[in-house]
Amino acid sequence: MILARRTGLYLVLIALVALFVSPFGWLVVTAFKDNSEMAAYPVHWLPEKWQFGNFSKALTFFNYLGYARNSLIIATIYSVLITLSSAWAGFGFARMAARGKRLVFGVLLSTMMMPAMITLIPTYIIFARLGMIDTYWPWVLWGLAGAPYLIFLFRQFFAHMPRELEEAAIVDGCGYGRIFWRIFLPQSWPVLATSMLLSFTWVWGDYIAPSLLLSTDHTTLAVAVATQYVNESNQAPINNLMAAGSVLYILPVLLLFFVLQRGFVTGVSTSGLK
Amino acid sequence: MRSTTGAPMSRRRFLTTSTGVAAAATAGGLLSGCAGSVSSGDSGGKTTLTIMSSGTELGTAAEIKQAEKTLGMTLKVVKYDLTRLTAMLTSGSAPDIVRAEGSDAPYLASHSVAQDLDDYFAKSTVLKAADLDPVNDIWRWDGKKQGSGPRYGMVKDYSQNYTLWYNTALFDAADEPYLSETEPLTYDKLLDVGKRLGASGKKSKAYGLSMGGTFETFMIMTTQAGGQLFNDDYSEVDFTGDAAKNALAWYIDLAKSRITPSLAYPDPNGWDWPTFQAGRMAITAQGYWFGGQIVTDEKIAATARFAPAPQLGSKRMSTCYTGTGLWMPKAGKNKDAAWQAMEYFLGGAPAKKRAETGAGLPALKSLRPLLPKTEGFQKEAYAVQSKELDYFSVLPFTPYIRMDAMNAVIYQLTPGAIKGSTSVTKLADQLNSGINKQLANGKKLIK
Repeated sequence: MILARRTGLYLVLIALVALFVSPFGWLVVTAFKDNSEMAAYPVHWLPEKWQFGNFSKALTFFNYLGYARNSLIIATIYSVLITLSSAWAGFGFARMAARGKRLVFGVLLSTMMMPAMITLIPTYIIFARLGMIDTYWPWVLWGLAGAPYLIFLFRQFFAHMPRELEEAAIVDGCGYGRIFWRIFLPQSWPVLATSMLLSFTWVWGDYIAPSLLLSTDHTTLAVAVATQYVNESNQAPINNLMAAGSVLYILPVLLLFFVLQRGFVTGVSTSGLK
Repeated sequence: MRSTTGAPMSRRRFLTTSTGVAAAATAGGLLSGCAGSVSSGDSGGKTTLTIMSSGTELGTAAEIKQAEKTLGMTLKVVKYDLTRLTAMLTSGSAPDIVRAEGSDAPYLASHSVAQDLDDYFAKSTVLKAADLDPVNDIWRWDGKKQGSGPRYGMVKDYSQNYTLWYNTALFDAADEPYLSETEPLTYDKLLDVGKRLGASGKKSKAYGLSMGGTFETFMIMTTQAGGQLFNDDYSEVDFTGDAAKNALAWYIDLAKSRITPSLAYPDPNGWDWPTFQAGRMAITAQGYWFGGQIVTDEKIAATARFAPAPQLGSKRMSTCYTGTGLWMPKAGKNKDAAWQAMEYFLGGAPAKKRAETGAGLPALKSLRPLLPKTEGFQKEAYAVQSKELDYFSVLPFTPYIRMDAMNAVIYQLTPGAIKGSTSVTKLADQLNSGINKQLANGKKLIK
């Protein structure tokens, strides 16, 4: 009975894994296909002739590494800054007392409900008036501003750390800045990893902001992959190269996830404890 | 602020820490856009033009560099995006040149967004009025109708939109005679041919005929049949006239037959080329422009043929509604320099190169001889296209809303009719109601 139940459970889990992995699997298979095979009927589940050259073509069709560098710079700046600023804010909400703190925290969380799309044009206008269009300053400012979700994660994590730790540090002469840097931050590596991973992924995968704020020459890999694999003469998309470019584009984030996955899982699961 | 245990927070440490974070952020000079240039651009104090275009339609990165050298300017290319364009115009940082479809010319001109270019054309030695292909009339607006009055832009290249490409291999397999190179099919005959060519089975599945169901489709068909969709001042549409209802009924019949990709049953490949290339689409109404794609595949080039646009009524018309081109925002700050760039991209080396590829007909008559005639299919297509030009016309559109807004209503409502729950009469009423509401709202916004 137990064996049957367990087998059933595994079958369901395998089916779910197949369901979620299949779009990525199809992308990988497409990346190895010849252009003419993509619309074949009956469907070619695997390429007749594997086109490994698609990957080298995808890398040289435009300045792939240049755009990857742009993405890396923006994603690194943003993820480092937003992790620090969110940790700082989360620490404040968790460990400091101030009048109206709950209200401010509520307002902060409520901003998560606001769709980003409605602030697009005002955002552009603000950055245009500040002379920051076609620069990476917007990502610095966004990074310094913190993110409500990450502030929430840090706040939850810091809130359940023992008060004795904080009191002992104060007795030893530490101020709150030092308590944050020397005691709380080093202990919060699971949330730090989670925050770094999430924020890096947000920027690495973001299409709208770079598309809105950066020129074609300065934009990110997400925009380049989506728009530049086109037939030069009539701008029609070249789907197999786009698939190969997309697979390569996903790899750094996958790598980052595998490196940080233990922290990521721990961070998400423990930040809800209090 | 005080701590939960009453100890004051160190202000000095707070400031030190915050400064450290800001300094770390700016370290390495990574923040200026130039640090991220993928082509090592340097403005060097020259005039900088911002051009909003799509993909590499004005040239690859290397070709844009060449254009900068030739023009002696720095060209900042930004991806065409309506949201960004709106934001740029609103923030007072309008781009200098923008791409758009000619169907939006009345909208841009009547909203006082686009610059009247007549003075520039009058002085130009590159883009001479006498050399302009008639398609450029799509960018004219006299305050009441499209086709006459000042020019607000110029076409980059174009097609007579519903000219047909077909795959002779599928015609041979179905024992179907090839299409005439000179005489257009009626829409009804075209539908019959498409139905005979559309095959579905375990080992084959081919679309017999691909034709879009957009506002432009219905407008072309209605106009050919002697009707009209717009009223005289373009403030209302009427789909309930006989010609318009016939056009709707024809399209619904086509879509229901499942021999075409449609809004209700789209082609998973996204657009016609992959399916046509795979030998799974017999006829596609893509226009001459599609030849630029066909030439990339020898196998399909060997079996591809070009044919005239189909007709609904007795009057032969082969229209263009897109006429994609460039316009200059009135709010642009470098208009003379922008015009020089327009001359270069629309009449200089890039325009010649585009003509030579055959990805569209050139917008200057003098460039027409450059159209490709190397491959067999290109020679045949050129011959058919040359005769087709005798029946050329442009379609007039409304100044009150953009074409996208009208098509959004069509995309929302036609799937119901294709799937059988809405009659053509009811669909026509619904389209009138949905589109006229938008037109009325749009009309209020014009001063």
